[in-house]
Amino acid sequence: MSTLRTRDLIINIPERRDGFALNMTIEPGQVWGVLGPNGAGKTTLLHTLAGLLPARNGWVELNNAPVKELKRRAIARQLGLVFQERQDTFPATVMETALIGRHPWLSPWESEQGEDQALAEQALHALDVDGLSNRLLNTLSGGERQRVAIATLMTQNPDIWLLDEPTNHLDLHHQVKVMNLLRNQAQSGKTVFMCLHDLNMAARWCSHVLLLYTNGDACWGAAESMLVPEALERLYNQRLISLKKDGLSVFVPAP
Amino acid sequence: MIFRVFLLFFALISGAFADVCATDDAGQSLCLAVPAQRIATLSPGATELTFAAGAGDKVIAGVNYSDYPPAALKLPRVGNHTRIDLEALMALKPDLVITWVTGNPPAQIELLEELGIPLFAIEPRTFEGVSSVLERLSTLAGTEESGFAEAERFRKGIADITEEYRDAEPISVFYQVWEQPLMTINDDHLIGKVLQLCGGVNVFGDMPRLVPRISAEVVLEANPDAILTGSAEGESDGQLDRWKEYSGLSAVVRNNLIFVPASPISRPTPRLLEASKLICQKLEVARGH
Amino acid sequence: MWWRPVTRALLSLGALALAAMMLALAMGSVTVPLPDLWQVIQGDGSALYRTLVWELRLPRAVAAFATGGLLAVAGALMQVLLRNPLADPYILGLSGGAAVGALLAMLAGMGTLLISGSAFAGAMLATLLVFGLAHGTGSWTPSRLLLTGVVVASGWGAVITLMLAITPSHKLPGMLYWLMGDVSYARTPWPALSVLVVSIALIMPLARNLNVLARGPMQAAALGVSVRPLEWSVYLLASLLTATAVTAAGSIGFVGLIVPHMLRLVLGNDQRVILPASVLAGGTLLVLADTLARTVIAPEQLPVGVITALLGVPMFLYLLHRSR
Repeated sequence: MSTLRTRDLIINIPERRDGFALNMTIEPGQVWGVLGPNGAGKTTLLHTLAGLLPARNGWVELNNAPVKELKRRAIARQLGLVFQERQDTFPATVMETALIGRHPWLSPWESEQGEDQALAEQALHALDVDGLSNRLLNTLSGGERQRVAIATLMTQNPDIWLLDEPTNHLDLHHQVKVMNLLRNQAQSGKTVFMCLHDLNMAARWCSHVLLLYTNGDACWGAAESMLVPEALERLYNQRLISLKKDGLSVFVPAP
Repeated sequence: MIFRVFLLFFALISGAFADVCATDDAGQSLCLAVPAQRIATLSPGATELTFAAGAGDKVIAGVNYSDYPPAALKLPRVGNHTRIDLEALMALKPDLVITWVTGNPPAQIELLEELGIPLFAIEPRTFEGVSSVLERLSTLAGTEESGFAEAERFRKGIADITEEYRDAEPISVFYQVWEQPLMTINDDHLIGKVLQLCGGVNVFGDMPRLVPRISAEVVLEANPDAILTGSAEGESDGQLDRWKEYSGLSAVVRNNLIFVPASPISRPTPRLLEASKLICQKLEVARGH
Repeated sequence: MWWRPVTRALLSLGALALAAMMLALAMGSVTVPLPDLWQVIQGDGSALYRTLVWELRLPRAVAAFATGGLLAVAGALMQVLLRNPLADPYILGLSGGAAVGALLAMLAGMGTLLISGSAFAGAMLATLLVFGLAHGTGSWTPSRLLLTGVVVASGWGAVITLMLAITPSHKLPGMLYWLMGDVSYARTPWPALSVLVVSIALIMPLARNLNVLARGPMQAAALGVSVRPLEWSVYLLASLLTATAVTAAGSIGFVGLIVPHMLRLVLGNDQRVILPASVLAGGTLLVLADTLARTVIAPEQLPVGVITALLGVPMFLYLLHRSR
C-alpha cells in the first residue's frame, strides 16, 4: 500500500507559463481520473509523477521519499505505468511482454521462475489475452496490444498504478472489463491514477478527479464535487447536457 | 690430433663442409648448413633472379605471374605475392624461401619465420645490386660457378654501355609508367638509372617519390624530347596516343613516342641489360630526329 | 519447459560450431586424409601434417571464430542500442577509425604489431569522438547518435581515400587487402578470444535489461532500468568488441549485420538467447567462410568478406521469404 503526494508541483510544459501548483495526496483505495483537453499536460503530469520528467517546481513524494532521490528499481517496485504509445521495433511474444513486468523484482542473474510465470498467466487471463500467449506483439490488433500492456502492469504488481488512457482502442465490452478491473485493484489496496479522455468514464468509475486546464489551472477533489457542468464546460470549451439515470451521471455535448 | 688437423684442412679447402652464408637486402644474415636444394620464390622477380643465378632446377614453387624464364611457367603455384597460400608452400617443404622486401604481406612472412623456414629477402635497387643478389643467391644455392659468371656478365655489360654512351648528347626524356593515373619514375628507380646510362635526362628525376603520380600539365611544362613507355612486346599500343594532340610537345614534333618491352625493364633482373641496350639504341635514334 | 526450444537451438548452434571447426582443421589447399588428421589430434602424425593443423589451421580457425563472434555480438548490441534492425558494428565510424590507424602505420612502414596497435587506437579514438560529439549536444537520442556516427564515418572514409591516393604504389595492395578484411592477418587468436569470452560474461547479466530497453527508454526507465548508464555501457562494450575484431582481421563486412538479424527471425527477440546465439552463429559463419576462402580456388586465396556476402545473402533472403 503506497501513497503518492505532490508538493507544490508545477509540471514543465515548454513555452507555457507556470500552472497552478498541485498539492494532491493520492492514497490506496482511490481511483483518480485526470480530465482535460489535448495539450493540457495530462501525459506530462503522469510522466512527472513517475519521475521520468523533471518538474518545473515542487516535487513528488512516494511514501514520503522524494522521487528524485530514489533509484529507478526501487521506484519500479512501487509504481508502474501504462504508456499511451509503445515501440515495436523488436517485437516480443505476448507472454514475454507480460513477463517483462517482473523485471524490477529480479536480480540480473535470476531468470523468471514459476511464480513469475503464474503471475503473468493470471494477468493475461484477467485481460482476456491468454489465448494469444505465443503470438508476436506486432501481429495483434490495437485493442489486444492495449490489454497486453495493462497485463504487463498487472504482472509487475506495484502498489501504485499509473495509466495513460487505458481504454484507448478497446471495444465497449473490454472498456468496461478494464475499468472494473482497475476499480477492483483499488479496492484491494492499490492506488490507481489515470488519464481519461472520456468524462463519462470518470463519472462512473473514479472516486477522485483532477481537472487540468489548457492555461495551467487545475482543481481536484472527490469526483462528485469536480464533475459539475460549469467546471467541465470551461474545461472542454463545450456546452454540456448532464443527465442522471440509475444513480449514474452522464454528460453529452449540447447541440 | 693429426686427425683433427686433417679435418680442419678439409673443411677449409672444401667449402661443402662449412655453412653457406649471405646477407639479404633487408640486412639480415642467413646461414644454411648445406646449400639449398628446394627453393621457393615469392615474387616473379625473385623467380627470375633465382633462375638467373643458375639455381633454376632447385626452384620447387613460385607465385602467380612468375613467367620468366619459360621454365618457370611449369612451377607449382603457391598463391599471389600479396596473398600466399602458406599450406601449399609448407607442403612442398622448401629449405629456402626467397621473399621480396616490399611485396609480400608482413603477417604471413612473420608466420613463416616463426615456423623456422629460412627466409631471404631481396629487392635490387641498383645495377650493382642485381649482380650482388645473383652472387648471394648462387652462394646459398651452391651454384656459384654459373651465378658469379652471370653477375660478372651483367657487370661488364653495364660497364660497356656506360662507356659507349659516356659522351652521348643529353636528351630530355619522360618515362610513362602508367597512363591512368599518370605515373613516372625518379632517378632512384632502376628505370631512371637505365635512362641515365643512355645519356637520357629524366625530366622528373629530382622528384622526391620513387614512383610519382603527376599531371599532364607538368609534362607539357617540362617538354621532354622523347617519351618512353612499356608495352607487352614493345609494340605500339594506344598508351601514348594522348600526347599526340599536343602538337607543340617536342617529343611529338620530333616523332619520339617510343615503345619498349615492359617486362624486361620493369624487373631488376639480368634482362635489364638487354633492355638497356635497346633503350640506348632507341634514344640514339631519337637524338637524330 | 518454456526454455526448451531455446536450449535446443543453442545446443544445435554449438554442435554446428564444433563441426565447422573440425571442417576447418580438415580442409585446406593440402588434403589431410581423415586417418592422418585423427593421428595428429592424438599427438602423432607427420611433421608436415602437424605443422599444417596446429600451426596454420588451428590458430586461423580460432581467430575466425573469435572474430565472427565478436562482430555478430557487436552487431546485435548496436541494433538494440540504436533500436534499428539495420545497424551494424561499423555504423558509428569504428572501422573507419581503425582503418585510418592501420593505414597510417603501414604508410610509416611499421611492423604488424604496431599496425594492430594503431588500428585499435584508431577504433577507440573513433568511439570517443562519437561519444563526445553526441554527448556534447545535450540530450541525445539514438537517431542523434546514429547521425553523428554516420557523419564521422564519412569523414574517416574521406581520410582513407586521401591516404590511398597519396600512398606509394607498392604499399597499395597491402592497404587494400587490409580494408577488404582477411583472417590470415590474425597472428595470434588468443587476444580476440579472451575479449570475446570476457565481454559475453559481462553482457549476459545485462541481457534482460536490454530486452526491457528495446521497448523504449521511457518504458525501460518505468520498469526500473537506469537507461543512460546502460546505453553508454553497451556502446562502449560494442565498440571494444568491434575494435578487437577489426584489429585482428581488418574490416570484414556483413557478419555483424546479418547474423543477429537472421537469428532474430528464427529465435525471437530475447537478448538472453540472441547474444550467445550470435557468438556461436557468427563464429561458425566466419569459420566456414574462411575455410572456403582459402580452399575454393586454391592456391589462390580470396578475401573472406567476399565469401561471407556470397553465403550470407542467399541464406538471409531464404529466411526472409520463409518468415512471411
